[in-house]
Amino acid sequence: MTASLTPLDGEAGFRFDPERTVGRGPADRLRSFRTAVVLGWKMEANWTDPVLFFIYSVAKPVSAALILVVMLDVIAGASGHDYRGYVVVGSALWSFVMSGIAGLAWSVLDDRERYRMLKYVYVSPSDLVTVLLGRGTARIAVGAMGAAITLVVGVVVMGVSFDLLAVDWPVLLAVMVLGLAAIVAVGLILAAICLQTRQESWSYPEAVAGALFLVSGAVFPLSVLPSAVQAIGLANPMTWWLAGVRLALFPGGTSSIGGPGSLFTNLTGAAAPDSPTILVALLVTGAVVTLGAAVVFRWSERRAKDRGLIDQTTGS
Amino acid sequence: MTTRAFIGRPTASPREAADWSRRRILANNLRSVVGRAYPRVRGMAREPSWLFFEILLPFLTTSSFVFVYRALQAPQEYVGFVVLGGAMTAFWLNVVWMMAAQLYWEKDQGNLELYFAAPMDVMSVLFGMAIGGLVMSATRAAVVLVVASLVYGVQFSVDQWGLLVTVFVLALAAMYGLGMVLASLFLMWGREAWHLTHVLAEPVYFVSGLNFPVAALGRLGALALATIPLATGLDAMRQLAFAGHLGPAPFLPPLAEAGILVAMTGIFLVLARFMLRALERRARQEGRLTVRWR
Repeated sequence: MTASLTPLDGEAGFRFDPERTVGRGPADRLRSFRTAVVLGWKMEANWTDPVLFFIYSVAKPVSAALILVVMLDVIAGASGHDYRGYVVVGSALWSFVMSGIAGLAWSVLDDRERYRMLKYVYVSPSDLVTVLLGRGTARIAVGAMGAAITLVVGVVVMGVSFDLLAVDWPVLLAVMVLGLAAIVAVGLILAAICLQTRQESWSYPEAVAGALFLVSGAVFPLSVLPSAVQAIGLANPMTWWLAGVRLALFPGGTSSIGGPGSLFTNLTGAAAPDSPTILVALLVTGAVVTLGAAVVFRWSERRAKDRGLIDQTTGS
Repeated sequence: MTTRAFIGRPTASPREAADWSRRRILANNLRSVVGRAYPRVRGMAREPSWLFFEILLPFLTTSSFVFVYRALQAPQEYVGFVVLGGAMTAFWLNVVWMMAAQLYWEKDQGNLELYFAAPMDVMSVLFGMAIGGLVMSATRAAVVLVVASLVYGVQFSVDQWGLLVTVFVLALAAMYGLGMVLASLFLMWGREAWHLTHVLAEPVYFVSGLNFPVAALGRLGALALATIPLATGLDAMRQLAFAGHLGPAPFLPPLAEAGILVAMTGIFLVLARFMLRALERRARQEGRLTVRWR
């Protein structure tokens, strides 16, 4: 008897439906994404009770902001009050970057090294990138909670001046959408790297975020850096995202990009970038990073498949 | 009938085979230490990407805080504070990620039951992990210290080299002792252990005064000096490496802080041994040693 792919008839048989191998396109992707978000959120949140989870989620970003505030107080005392708002906003927003970058990379490591499910996810009809994006989204939600609480603590406890009526909501919305897309793209690059590396890669996302911290103007203006490093900063979408959010939330505050001695001011003659400049720059740099991430991930996925890395565990 | 077991010579019974001399037990545990340290040290050579991710990128993180002080036009000694803090974080991260959380990883990977079934003390596994991890973190700390000092022009002013080295060694001993305590605690936990490792980063950096004098935190700083070896070691080393006071006056002189570190080391090692046994017993009773992916 020879195996056949022709449809079987009869009550006990089944009909082979070739369309099932094609799937339903966007609808299937959306379902995979939604399932991955719910799974990611449960993995992040259901290990403890909600109160402890909340404390855990905000402890890291609030402490990061406090480190900078104390550094500021030790050196500048009361005269550093204006700069306090700058560092609080920068470190609060960095919570998004940390969680966005780590979310995707840790999903790969979690599923490969700990739960050993990556191979099953990979051979399932779900697209791996969609699943990773869903898992990363759940972590970004945790990061968003940390960022929001840090901002609230900054305003209520640390005395950062904030006027809700002065917020430029359309710009804020636009830069958040573009910025988060760029952050997720960087996360995808890290996920591609973690497909190739070993268990100790847990610390890699944090290391990359730490390096980007230097060239993003998160807690000090780029003008402090040498010109060559400022140029790297201007090519980094996170720099424009932070500048855009600052401009939207605190209009008229210190610019992280412009100012005396900055490369931006030297090149353009403008004291600081305005909203349209920031949006265009964020769009362009974000698009470059996103395209790069897609290319790198596909290359990494192919290489991992070739070398049998998808079901490799590397405990050391 | 003779039995050949464990010690490689004929014995009359399994009981006799399992009855080891002290020398043999010590030699076996030393082999276990080497055996556990080996994959960590060899692993460094097998995958050189760690040089980029574990050394270059953390150096850039440290640089960020240097530039915060530069933006504030702070005295140059504060840049030295940041550099020293950046070097010491290498050890702290190693303690948290590769010591404290390690038994939890081993459980998930299925190695833990092998450790407990093997004829050795689990403390020797912890020592092996510490020694293996120390090689990697010492490399990172040295690079951060040397390169950052050269790039950012940090000038150390050391009067008491002997005490500085002693404090450094004591700080490492106390930190790794704390890592062993946490490792035994994490033995009982599932994902709580993983998440706790995150909470042991920035919050601990803050209360330890990673980039500023811990005395600036007042009572919170004093509490950290008494309980967290990173805080105690950093404060003592800063006082010894940068003669002359900057910012708030320190709570204690370096010698007193060295005394605290000695006490911490002793307490943590004894506590780790006690907890490892107590929690191992409890984990056996509750069947948690082989439970994975919780």
